[in-house]
Order: sequence, then C-alpha cells, then structure tokens
Amino acid sequence: MKLRFSHILLLGLGLGLAVLLVMLFTGQKTWFSTNTPIEIQPNLDLQFKAIPQSPNTFFADGKSLREPVEGSLARGTTTYPLGPGDIDAAETANVEPSDLPKNSEFVLARGQNRFNTFCSPCHYFDGVSENSAISKKGWAGIPNLTRSETAALSNARIFHIISAGQNLMPSYADKIDPIDRWAIIRYLRTLQKVEGVASNPIAAAAAKN
Amino acid sequence: MFSRKFDKGVKTGGAILSAVAAVLFLVGYFGFRNSFADVGYRPEQPVPFSHKLHAGELKIHCQYCHAGVEKSAHSPVPTTQTCMNCHTVIKAESPKLQLVRDSYESGKPIEWIRIHKVPDYVHFNHSRHIRAQIDCKSCHGPIEEMGVVSQFKPLSMGWCLDCHRAPEKNIVGARPISGVFTNAMHKIEDLKKGAYLFTPIPAQVGTSTPITNPQFGGYHSEVPAVKVAGIPHPKKAGIGPENCSACHY
Ligand code: HEC
Repeated sequence: MKLRFSHILLLGLGLGLAVLLVMLFTGQKTWFSTNTPIEIQPNLDLQFKAIPQSPNTFFADGKSLREPVEGSLARGTTTYPLGPGDIDAAETANVEPSDLPKNSEFVLARGQNRFNTFCSPCHYFDGVSENSAISKKGWAGIPNLTRSETAALSNARIFHIISAGQNLMPSYADKIDPIDRWAIIRYLRTLQKVEGVASNPIAAAAAKN
Repeated sequence: MFSRKFDKGVKTGGAILSAVAAVLFLVGYFGFRNSFADVGYRPEQPVPFSHKLHAGELKIHCQYCHAGVEKSAHSPVPTTQTCMNCHTVIKAESPKLQLVRDSYESGKPIEWIRIHKVPDYVHFNHSRHIRAQIDCKSCHGPIEEMGVVSQFKPLSMGWCLDCHRAPEKNIVGARPISGVFTNAMHKIEDLKKGAYLFTPIPAQVGTSTPITNPQFGGYHSEVPAVKVAGIPHPKKAGIGPENCSACHY
C-alpha cells in the first residue's frame, strides 16, 4: 500500500485524540493555565454575598470585611492596651493565668509549636537567632534569646515584647493569642535552660533541674 | 435505490458526525470536571511572591503568614503588615515589593487573585481540618515547591468524599513546616535539618462510630479532653461526615 498524506494526517489526529482521551479519563492535566476556570453554572457558584477577604461592590471601600465598630472587639479576641514603651506598667499588668498548668508537656509542646511558627524565622529554632532565615538574609543584630540578659527579663516583660513589639521587632498581638504567648514563654524558658543544646529541650531542662 | 455516490456520502457524513459528537460528548462530560478544568489554574499574582523561596528555602512555617487558620473557617491571605514584619528591613528597596509598600502606606489591601475556591454553597471549614492534624499539603499539594502557586487538587465534591470516607488513604500527616499543632515535641537538632521539616508524621486516624442507626452520614470521633482552655486541642482525623448538611448549610 502506498503511504498517502491522508494516512499520516489520520494517524496524527488519532494519536492526538488518544492522548486527549487518556488525559480526560485520568484527570491528569499536565499544563498550567492563567485563565480563570470555566464555571458551567456560575450564578450558583459565585453568589452575591460577603465572603471573608473577597471584593464587594456593595460597600464604598470595596471590601467584604467590615471594620469593627469603634471601641468594640470581635468575639474571642483581645487587644493589648500597652504601647512598646510602657515597660513599667507591663510588669504589673501581665500576669500569667493561674489555670495554665505547671510542668505540662502539653503547654510546652504548644509553646514549641507557636515558637517555631512565629519566632523561628528570626530567632531560629534554638532561640540563638544566628542561623535564622532572616539573619542569613542580612538582618543583623537579632538578639540571642538564650543569653543571660534575655534570661533575666521577667515573664511579664517578655509577654510585653511579644504583644507590643520592641524597636524593630514587630508586635505579634494580632497573630498569637495571650494564652499561646504564655506557652511560648514557658518554652523559651526551657530553651534558655538548655542554652541552645541540640537535643530535646524538655529532657535537657529536666536533667538540669 | 440511491446512487452509489449518495450512499457513500451518507456513510462518511454519518461517520464524521458521530465522531464529532463523540469527541464533543467526551470533552463536555469529562473536560469540565474540576480535575481537568480547575487543576493547574495558575494566575499571575500582582506581587511575584514565591512560596518556593519563603516556605521551601527559608522554611517559614505556613501559619506564620496564614495565621488564624486553626481558629477560623477561612484561611486568611496574610495582611500587608505580615509582609512588612520582615520587609521593612529585608529587601526594603526592592521594586518587586513596591505594591506591598504602597499598600502598607495607603491601607488599601493588595488584590491577590484567588486560586482555590469551592462554590459559594459549600462551607469548607479550615480549622476543623487543621485541628484534626491534616496537613495543608493534603489539599494544596507541595506548595513549598511552587514558585507560582497553582491548584493541585480538584476540590470537587467527589474528591472531598473520597477522603471523608477513607481518610487513612488520602491524608498527609502534619508536617512541622505547616505549623499544625500535633501535641508532639520536636528535637531541636531534628528541626535544624531541612528534610525533617517537610516529612509528615504518620497520619493519625482515630476510630469513628456512626451517630445514628441507621446512620445518615454523621460520624462521631474521639474528642480530646480539654487540657487548657483557649489552646486548640488536636484530635485525630476520623471518618468525615457524609450528610449533605455538613457542608451545604
Ligand atoms: C521579624 C523578626 C522577629 C520575629 C519574628 C521575632 N522577633 Fe524577637 N526580636 C527581633 C528583633 C529585631 C529584636 C531586637 C529588638 C531590639 O532591638 O530591641 C528582638 C528581640 C526580642 C526579645 C528581647 C531580647 C532582648 O534581650 O532584648 C525577645 C524576648 C524576643 N525578641 C522574643 C521573641 C518571641 C517570643 C518571638 C515569637 C513570638 C519573636 N521574638 C519573634 C526580631 C524578631
């Protein structure tokens, strides 16, 4: 049989179709697209209602999220009343809640989790700050939290630093709940006890006690 | 009865028509599925933010920026303030960050383009899933490898139900990098190793019992004892609810 152009054309089309079919059936798409996905029934998928962080044509500022009424707070949230400079007021204002259990591994684990999440980018996992992402990117002078000056700070003061920030360190009051801040302080104390010893902070702190 | 030519014309015409119909049907039936239409959606964001750099290389935990995900249904896109925690000092002059600085000064949010979206009649709750120690990767894929984020999973109802019915097969266990609270202490020497941060702890799947008998898709799974009020207590992932009103309310 003589190979004709039409045969090649058909073969090519058939191959293309086969690839398309395999992709369709397996749902394995291998390309990316910057186009918004097609909605077959968009009026149900995209309803005119306020969804967190979505744009909204109803309000003048174009946001769905409303600012809280002045002087009010969203349920379950707190504000930190002191400014970065109110160091003396902080000593008496910040009291560790009495229902935070002592020697609790649960609280320490929570403290570690929050410390790793919010503090480690600058203070690293060991609190020494030297090898943190941000130190490596050129932010010099992030203090070592295990040094004796920092260890000498009161719990209330550290709570104050986390809540209000200090100089270039930003405030984390909006990201970390007060109870979690106390858990972080508990964990920071164990870090200071082990002074960056590379091991399990709980075991090492217990061994030192 | 018909001429030979006419007969042939009808046959080829019919063959072409049915082939076209078949292709149209296949594309229409499968091609609009989320797994095909939505996966791979990778819009260009107003600020060229790279998760590959921030999470993958710098190992900043997911929850540093997406804080609040363990408390609220909606996982927030970080505020401009979050960027400026570091970028007041780091790359403070970079032209790529101009929009961020503008937004910081004016208070007008950056208009990020939404990628992951379930229809508005579906109520997905992030906090429930995070508290069940399900890693972000389960649904978002390896974000830390994406320079530009794209949708990785179909986010279709069938896909949700696959996991609700057989969580042990589909869940990626919590990884330290995500910041999901698992009640486990990590050794600092482990945390310093990059690979450790990205290795999931085995998914903890608890036992679930149907709530009613006959059961209508409601399940009861072990609830952890409250140790400290205000700290979210991680629970084990169980069989997810299958009843319609769990997500469509
Ligand atoms: C964006 C980087 C950054 C992050 C994240 C960060 N810090 Fe800091 N931290 C700093 C800098 C910078 C200083 C030094 C402030 C100064 O110059 O007074 C500092 C100082 C401190 C100090 C005072 C040390 C001393 O001896 O004066 C404490 C305590 C502290 N940080 C705790 C924390 C805790 C706890 C967290 C996590 C919630 C945290 N930091 C997160 C950057 C950061």
